[in-house]
Amino acid sequence: MSFSNTDFRLLRWNVIVLSLSIVVSGIMIYASDQFSKNAAENSRMASKLLNDARIRLINARRDRDNFVAYTSEYADIEDHQIFSDGHRLDWMEGLNNLSQQNLVMNFSYTISPQTIYQPQPVVDSGNFEIHYSEMKLQLELLHEGQLLNFFNAMNEQIEGYYQLDSCSLHRVDTLTDTDKRESQAPEVKTNIQAECSGGWITLKNRNAPL
Amino acid sequence: MKQSLLLLLSATRLHAQLMAGGKILLQREFNDSQDGWNQFSDFIKANKHTTYLLTDLIEEDFRHEIVPHLRGRRHAALLKRKFDQFYRDTPFHQATLLRRQKTGRRDDDMIFSALTNPALIKPWLDILLVHEVPLAGIYSIPQISAALITNHSSNHLLLISWEKFSGLRQTYFSQHRLQISRLTAIRENKTFNDALLKELDRTFQYLKSLSLLPANQTLDVRILCHAKDREELKNKLVGNEDMRYDFADLGEIGRQLKINYRFTDSDASQIFLHQLALSQPKTHYGNEEHTHFHSILKLNVALKWTAIPIFVASLALTFPTVLESDGSQAENKAQQQQTQLTLSEADAIILALPASDVAPIDMKSGVNVMNKLEQYQLQTQDILLTVSDALDQFPQIQIDDLKLLTSATEPVAVNTRADIPAHVITIKGNLHGFDNNYRSILKYLDRFQLELRKKNFQVEALSKPLDVSPGGSLDSSLGTQEDALKFSLKVVWRPLL
Repeated sequence: MSFSNTDFRLLRWNVIVLSLSIVVSGIMIYASDQFSKNAAENSRMASKLLNDARIRLINARRDRDNFVAYTSEYADIEDHQIFSDGHRLDWMEGLNNLSQQNLVMNFSYTISPQTIYQPQPVVDSGNFEIHYSEMKLQLELLHEGQLLNFFNAMNEQIEGYYQLDSCSLHRVDTLTDTDKRESQAPEVKTNIQAECSGGWITLKNRNAPL
Repeated sequence: MKQSLLLLLSATRLHAQLMAGGKILLQREFNDSQDGWNQFSDFIKANKHTTYLLTDLIEEDFRHEIVPHLRGRRHAALLKRKFDQFYRDTPFHQATLLRRQKTGRRDDDMIFSALTNPALIKPWLDILLVHEVPLAGIYSIPQISAALITNHSSNHLLLISWEKFSGLRQTYFSQHRLQISRLTAIRENKTFNDALLKELDRTFQYLKSLSLLPANQTLDVRILCHAKDREELKNKLVGNEDMRYDFADLGEIGRQLKINYRFTDSDASQIFLHQLALSQPKTHYGNEEHTHFHSILKLNVALKWTAIPIFVASLALTFPTVLESDGSQAENKAQQQQTQLTLSEADAIILALPASDVAPIDMKSGVNVMNKLEQYQLQTQDILLTVSDALDQFPQIQIDDLKLLTSATEPVAVNTRADIPAHVITIKGNLHGFDNNYRSILKYLDRFQLELRKKNFQVEALSKPLDVSPGGSLDSSLGTQEDALKFSLKVVWRPLL
């Protein structure tokens, strides 16, 4: 079967119809594909926005619950000046005041530079960084009760939070047998020497402006 | 419904009938003259449909030939040579393979046939070509009639029919294969029956002379006729050793072929025309040039039927996608509404919160950290008071050193909290007032440890005044020296669960 150019006259309409069919079909498939992609993207976006909104609602409810539950306790901690640095002078003044109250026979202290503290076991501190200023105390005591009274007074009279980590108490034999015979009224002497170690804790919010 | 135009060409006229679904819509007769051609031309202009041209002409020749079995170009060249040899002057020819011989070179047994007078066909064919009529093919009645005897039991059959405008047609089949066909015009003063009676003997003798009918072979004669002619023929045609007769009623054949036509005489033309319309066989005598516009028509149909599935398939592909996407848009709207409601609720909660510089989550973190650190702190007061209470019950124990510290690495005892550091107390002291009563010394220290354990301490003796275990050393100076009755204990405490 052979065809000449003149035969195209008889075929042209169906050739045009076929060509149109191919072109229109191609356009339809392309357009539907684009339509489908757009719909999928819109669907994805709608899902994301809904998820974001749900998270926002969950956070808002959590904030409301946290606010109700923790406002009072947080205010108490804030009053103890836990959330700011720069209280070293207050601590020194407070310790000096304690020394004048004769709670112990004698005591001395050293406060080291502030460091970042990582408690063991680890504590989830959220947005807070825990700062730690180590303070070592040497105390001379008549009896163990003075040590307890000293720390109670320190907690009550000095703003801040001192975390006691260790204490070592050593009994001192202050009077020899000769002293005991010769001395009719012996002076009040130290019976216990104590060395305690701990640190002043402050919290620094990482999101707070510098 | 698809319409088709059937043309039956005889020597003197052309019969045209327009058919649709097996029914005749229109019939016209055209004489073989200039007027007839003009009328046919006008008719064709108005009825341009797929056309089948059936010829019933005396000038149809059949030649039986045995040719070498070839293929491809050689076969085509052989056929061309044969056509040039037999039918140089006519384009309306064909070659049909009857069978391949089973012996010798296994040559092909072929029959060559042609319409030998093209002048009878050409005027009509030219009109069809001028009007670009889709001519499906040019056929002949002998070839078409082969389909009517396929189920006949005879191997030597003479089929006899009468076409009103052509005459008496006698077609001989051997082994159901067309061998030869004769058309005899019937003069106006003779009937079909008269002509038949006269021609039968001649045909029998003719077949014998050509050796187409083997010696002593009875020839089966099947006569297509109307019921009213059948009785007369039955009376006049009595079977003998040479010929056996079989009368086929046209009406009955028409019913078998489901031809919607009422036969009034023995004219079998409609049988052949309907058979052609039903079977639409491959063209017998038409070549590519003759069927060119039919090829174009088929191509047009193919183009159309390619375009439609493509369009339908694309619709089938895109429609579900669009529907699905549309459904997803409705879902998106619902999600957007849900989002707005959720955001409104969240905003209402946030607006209701009092103004604060500190985020509520930070309040929680700060409080939790400080509460936890409180638990980590050395509980000096509680521990010293507890140990002091225990010592009050054991006046013969004097404490020299006491160390307290917190330790996260200390093993966790059963029923105590692991999330809080252990408090580890190391007690160093000495025992006095026992007068070397070793058993009392050890019992006294054991009772002290027991007392501490009662207060939920884990107690471990690091050193004792004397080691009476198999691995320990003992000597006589024990108890005479100052530090002879010294001991040390490790006491561990964690809050209970």
